[in-house]
Amino acid sequence: MSREPDADVLVIGSGAAGAAICSRLAGRGARVRCLEQGEWVDRARLPKSHPDWEVRGRRYWAANPNVRRWPADYPVSSEGQDPIDVYMYNAVGGSQIGFAGNYWRMAPSDFKVRSLDGVGADWPFDYEELAPYYAINEAEVGVAGLAGDPCGPPREPLPNPPAPIGRPGQLLVNAYEKLGWYWWPTEQAITTRPYRGRPACDNRGWCTFGCPQGSLSTADLTYWPGALKNGVDLRTQARVREIVIGEDGRALGARYYDQDGVVRDARAAVTVVACGGLGTPLLLLMSTSPSHPDGLANSSGLVGKNLMVHVQSFATGLFEEPVDGWNGTWGGTVSTRQFYETDPARDYLRGFIMSGCRGWSPLNLALQIAPWGSGHHRAFDERINHEISLYLCGEDLPEESNRVELDWDHLDGFGMPGVVTHHELNDNSRRLGRDMIGHAHQVLEAAGARSVRDFGLAPIWGWHLLGTARMGDDPRTSVADRFNRAHDVPNLFIADGSSMPTSAGVNPSATIQALALRCADQIWESRRDYDRGRSSQIR
Amino acid sequence: MAYDRKQGQHQVAQSSRPDYRLEVGRAEVPLGSPRDFVVLDPARAATLKAWTSTLIPAAGRRPDAGSVGAAEYIDATVHLVPSIRPVLIHAIDEVERLARTTTRRGFSECSAEEREAILRQFLSGGDRDAFSMVSDFTYEAYYGHPKVLAAIEAKSGWRGNATMTGSPIAPFDTSQLERVRELPPRYRIFEGGPEVKR
Repeated sequence: MSREPDADVLVIGSGAAGAAICSRLAGRGARVRCLEQGEWVDRARLPKSHPDWEVRGRRYWAANPNVRRWPADYPVSSEGQDPIDVYMYNAVGGSQIGFAGNYWRMAPSDFKVRSLDGVGADWPFDYEELAPYYAINEAEVGVAGLAGDPCGPPREPLPNPPAPIGRPGQLLVNAYEKLGWYWWPTEQAITTRPYRGRPACDNRGWCTFGCPQGSLSTADLTYWPGALKNGVDLRTQARVREIVIGEDGRALGARYYDQDGVVRDARAAVTVVACGGLGTPLLLLMSTSPSHPDGLANSSGLVGKNLMVHVQSFATGLFEEPVDGWNGTWGGTVSTRQFYETDPARDYLRGFIMSGCRGWSPLNLALQIAPWGSGHHRAFDERINHEISLYLCGEDLPEESNRVELDWDHLDGFGMPGVVTHHELNDNSRRLGRDMIGHAHQVLEAAGARSVRDFGLAPIWGWHLLGTARMGDDPRTSVADRFNRAHDVPNLFIADGSSMPTSAGVNPSATIQALALRCADQIWESRRDYDRGRSSQIR
Repeated sequence: MAYDRKQGQHQVAQSSRPDYRLEVGRAEVPLGSPRDFVVLDPARAATLKAWTSTLIPAAGRRPDAGSVGAAEYIDATVHLVPSIRPVLIHAIDEVERLARTTTRRGFSECSAEEREAILRQFLSGGDRDAFSMVSDFTYEAYYGHPKVLAAIEAKSGWRGNATMTGSPIAPFDTSQLERVRELPPRYRIFEGGPEVKR
């Protein structure tokens, strides 16, 4: 077995969180190594570099790893009453390479769910502790938007102006004004003007199909160039098999298969797991040993539990006039948090956002609604360029029965297990979801839609995979502490969406990356603690 | 992608259930350039071509699916994914058998109405997966084809090439926020949390 020279910090996973941690620590002078099981995305193969981008999005770029089957992907099965249609990518940049760019800060109340509403869990810190890291991250990423939203605390100006909202956005503005509701331009991780060497967005739309322009702020374009410049040793096609624990109970590093399938050891004073809401519990549960027979960092039994995915849907309004639904960033219109906070007048706790999108593209639309045969074109023509959609996202409360487990019946290319997810929406989520969809109909009708269709609540749109190794102050009810450090292993950190105790009701990327920066600073500030008894020392 | 789910009928593609989608993800078949059949014999190719044209017939400037190479696209896909060949060939043979049983002609020789009726008969017979596969591939081939996208733009104004070229849009007019800016703060306070102020 070959062993790499020791690093100060070993980061497993190069996605939204891993990239931010690598960049932050390397910028401070730490020797950082990152193991990524995927590869750099070949930007020439991004779907939107080709006229048949929609078809490529169903094959090579399919968001579901079972369809895409890149060499780095592992099998995912979905069980439960409300199975999850899992969307994620294993590549440099992680699942951000296929994200839409919606970039929200959580609200202060999102950090105190148990205290305020008696459900879910409190985060072990409050909004104000994370706010400085939101700001640092927004500057790194080049977020587009406007400060001043009355649905959140005061904050500094954002780096870039909001995306143009186009006709779909204007129709929604008119609706919100008519209803007298709160609304605001949706914040986007998109450079709407030239920013730090990246070009201004030119409104090609359909951001999840890749951004050949490079304006969508994916981690491979935001954090990684600087991280590499600062010396991070990024190893791609490095499939980690287990976290290795020493006799003293500390993490020695990771054992992985390299691109040739040769097993190697990578050691460091500190190990960080940042493999996402499925990948992180997968790795921890695989890392069994006599002292951790049920998986690493799992004395609470909560590794893999409390999987949250958001209560999600779309509602689509049909308009008499053309809506220019092809024109502009997919999510860059306006959103409302009118129903975000818990309201005792409603029959559920917590809340949701409604975020304006544009129109469905031809293949997506045809697959959704156009029957085959003689009625095909009539159905298609009625709707193409006459529809706009609202993305609906509500809080999915943590439930231990919603979980990730190892799936030894379906193995990856290295003979390691896949994962199986179990998910069911609880009663609160169902009531929230029904109300969310009802209000979406109300908005679209106020915008002038002559009819509205929606996608219901299931199967779950599985973009946001959260909570499976959650933070907390109590080792009995959480996996990691307030700084993302595993309760059971003093030099092991878990820093990605899996560490979120609750999901909030917004897209999680901004929070995941802010958390990662905060975790990196904690590692740096306490670096002396990790030096003791190790050959590797953080300088 | 995530947005292509059939409304009300969506099945999650997952490793624990057989599904043609699990087979074709790595089969890349670029659209828009002519290609010949490589797997299907001429008789089956003709049946499949007529099948695709029945699924999406011509309308106005829009061609039928058969004439933009949908059958050849399906053939190219099964060329790359041999595991789904038997399903396709069996389905084609069954459609042809139904045509000869009901009309005494080959499927491709039937009228549009007859072909549609035969396909509905096939669909009611049980092999919905095979039908879905041919249908999905046909939609892909059709709505990815430059001729079709150009015809859609001419009729609806939907600019199919905007994803390649981009397009200018007027910047957001911040004066529209005048009313909302004056609304009271709308986030909850908790002890030790942020002050509600603007």
